[in-house]
Amino acid sequence: MTLARVSGTVVGTVRADGLPDARYLLVEDCDQAGKGRGEFLVALDLVGAARDQLVLLTQGSSCRWTDGTADRPMDTLVVAIVDAIDQGGRYVWKQV
Amino acid sequence: MQLARVKGTVVSTHKSPSMEGQRLLLLERVEPAGLAGKGDFVVAVDAVGANSGEIVFYVTGSSARMTEATKGKPSDATIIAIVDQIEKDGTLTYSKGQEA
Repeated sequence: MTLARVSGTVVGTVRADGLPDARYLLVEDCDQAGKGRGEFLVALDLVGAARDQLVLLTQGSSCRWTDGTADRPMDTLVVAIVDAIDQGGRYVWKQV
Repeated sequence: MQLARVKGTVVSTHKSPSMEGQRLLLLERVEPAGLAGKGDFVVAVDAVGANSGEIVFYVTGSSARMTEATKGKPSDATIIAIVDQIEKDGTLTYSKGQEA
């Protein structure tokens, strides 16, 4: 999994994902302290993440290993909201 | 999934039978803020009926085989949505049909 920051939402009504209630987020790839790298992805939100939250992204075929996404054309999922990251005994990220 | 703009179509007459009937589009990846092209192009199977100029997002890898249009087909990039709106940091950065 990789870390990303939620920066917005992406809305589309014409879709081929077979997911009627899909919610897509615009997320930015970032480091362990939440600093963005300028690379953006569209990710399916499974956890109700909000803007500026640090989230855990799963990419690739592993995205199809949830109840809702089995056999669906999904390659980027938000699977968790990160509360805190401790690196070497020091918090580098803490959810406010 | 990656955001991209439909830049054109790709035509092929001589192809694997498994690719027959697939609509291929030329996509350029874009920045989510200004929708500027990144100069990064990809050919993707169209599962949604996208048109030139539209912003879409597409899946890659084995997930590209999971739409009705690509089930069992050798696609590794498939468009799964036509984008209506993109909101970034609280501002609407794209709204379909409202582009200058």
